Amino acid sequence: MSTAADCDRPSTDATVRTEVFWGVDCGSAEIKVAALDREGRLLTTRRCRTLFPLVEHVHRSLAGQGDELSAIADGDRDRLPADGRQPGLRPGHKVFATGYGRHHIGFVQGQLTEIKAHYLGVQHQLRLQQDYTIIDIGGQDAKVIRATPSRVEQFAINRKCAAGTGAYIEELAHRLEVPMQELPRLAAAHDKDLTLNSYCTVFSGQEVIKLLMHGERVENLIHALYRSVVKRVLEMTAIDTDTLVFSGGVMSHHPILVPLFAERFDEVRTILAPNAQFCGALGAAIHGMNEESDDGLPNHQ
Amino acid sequence: MDVSPMDVKQVMRDYFVDLGEAAKDPGRKVAWCTSVGPAEILRAMGFAVYFPENHGALLGATRVSTDTIPIANAHGYSPEICSYLTSDIGACLKGVTPLSKAYGLDSVPRPDVLVYCTNQCKDVMHWFSWYARRWNVPLLGIHPPNHLPEVLPEHVADVAAQYRRMIGRLEAITGTLLDLEALRLAVARSREATDLWEAVLNTARARPAPLSFFDGVIVMGPIVVLRGTQAATDYYRALLAELQGKVVARQAAVPGERLRIYWEGMPVWGRLRHLSDLFANNRATVVASTYCNSWIFSDFDAAQPLDSMARAYLKIFINRDDAYKEAYIERLAGEFGIDGVVYHAARTCPNNSNSYYNLPQRLAARGIPGIVVDGDLCDLRCFSDEQSTTLIEAFLETL
Ligand code: SF4
Repeated sequence: MSTAADCDRPSTDATVRTEVFWGVDCGSAEIKVAALDREGRLLTTRRCRTLFPLVEHVHRSLAGQGDELSAIADGDRDRLPADGRQPGLRPGHKVFATGYGRHHIGFVQGQLTEIKAHYLGVQHQLRLQQDYTIIDIGGQDAKVIRATPSRVEQFAINRKCAAGTGAYIEELAHRLEVPMQELPRLAAAHDKDLTLNSYCTVFSGQEVIKLLMHGERVENLIHALYRSVVKRVLEMTAIDTDTLVFSGGVMSHHPILVPLFAERFDEVRTILAPNAQFCGALGAAIHGMNEESDDGLPNHQ
Repeated sequence: MDVSPMDVKQVMRDYFVDLGEAAKDPGRKVAWCTSVGPAEILRAMGFAVYFPENHGALLGATRVSTDTIPIANAHGYSPEICSYLTSDIGACLKGVTPLSKAYGLDSVPRPDVLVYCTNQCKDVMHWFSWYARRWNVPLLGIHPPNHLPEVLPEHVADVAAQYRRMIGRLEAITGTLLDLEALRLAVARSREATDLWEAVLNTARARPAPLSFFDGVIVMGPIVVLRGTQAATDYYRALLAELQGKVVARQAAVPGERLRIYWEGMPVWGRLRHLSDLFANNRATVVASTYCNSWIFSDFDAAQPLDSMARAYLKIFINRDDAYKEAYIERLAGEFGIDGVVYHAARTCPNNSNSYYNLPQRLAARGIPGIVVDGDLCDLRCFSDEQSTTLIEAFLETL
């Protein structure tokens, strides 16, 4: 995406108005970054693996490379200040954080939980007028968020075990010796509905091996694996809205999950959120805009 | 914590020093008792009374349990059962106790008799049985009717009869008969202490609340281990006066109190500070809890000591049916001006985890929102700082 040229104007005035709102989603698997202009238009998105020290990698994502849009002031762009000082931000840029690492970034202007961030990111992009449920499947967790056009009403998070998350898919793909990107194609070629019963990734792995030994087709096992992710997520909480919105990295890599969720309901509208992986980062940026707006209007969506 | 921590430390120190002395004195007898067991009978009969659950909480709070639970697990006590039990049995097997460092006791006081009551759970029976076998000590159990919608006269009669039978066996151990006047006095003292404890907890109805759940679990020591003694009454009278002063002065447990929360379930003993800070940073005060309220026994009546004890110990929250629990929390939510409930689903204590049978959904339908946080009382393998932080902060955001 293009950089907003007028954001690059340096300013010495502390009261300079914010032109770019950055959101950083420090997830357990990936750091995701999104930048919005003050009209809420998406300027750029970036992601990288979550590595440590976290702050260094967040800094790098926000700094960008070459002529990419940067949130970090020129003097601190190449590396974090050696003297322990927080890196400066470019005038007119603000950064807001979400995700599990949100408390560990010293140079952000604010932070919020990923529940609110995902909601804001989805609602900002879709502007839904009815109640809906967000299903967000990430690398290490799954979230179900019941939302209205104006707020989060209820939510549930599964982080107790890998079941229903990307880690579960990854582990079983490894057991089946199938590259991750092959999974959707193979699942589409299934000819039987099998069920994996276990909650537990290790037990599911054993079930898969037993079925393989009995000559079961890999395609059917992969399809069963996806169905089991759906089952685990739907066990988390009862869903009572007619609209389901999907977000998160796992959904964007495995869109086959969308119809598998849909078939579990009589009548439901399903939407794969645009920028599904970046809803949290986008929401963090929106939160920043809301924090700054003093117009007395309801939150920016 | 700025609610009389020094005073409570002194009261607890006196209690444990006396226990240590009793254990060494051939002229005195030590009884172990479950936390909502018939302590008044034991006190009236002159026993020094020790409460293993209090020891479990200490093992959890000092995080010694992290080392001792796996020892009990390896000896056949499952990681799925009460982690007070596994912490404590593991500590005994390892030969450690936090009482040594805190109060100078060589070990937990050896019992002359073990007394449990299954009004709370059956794990206490398995737990005390282990010590009975290990040390060849008499084991006396009260097995009341459980999970009652209503406490009826026949329930009371049943438990009172069990008390009488137990008293006979205790008399054989002490060699003296129970003095009814001593029992009346112990029950009267318990009643006075528990009324004061209730008044202490009720000071948190004020806005801002002068004490939070995290203060409560520290200052509750005497109502757990010193029921039936004058020391408990004296302590809570002083504490109440102090808190009433704070109410008048509008001194808040959490400065800038914005939200008022009910904590349902056990404390996470090894993470009290983390959780206390988490709520405080979000300007939320945990103003009421099932746990602290579980030591309010308004039925004690010195005129009918055994029947009133039976009634009081049958009526406890943990021993009631779903409808009672729902109505109870709803009432407290009204009285304390609660914005939301945090349900602690303690992995190893389903008995104190009331989120398993759809209670959060029922209360949410009545306008009391809640969130379930997975954790445990002592087993930190079942608790995640990260998850609890995200869940609780996200929940507070929605309120
Ligand atoms: S009620 Fe729970 S914590 Fe208490 S002794 Fe029983 S199982 Fe353990």
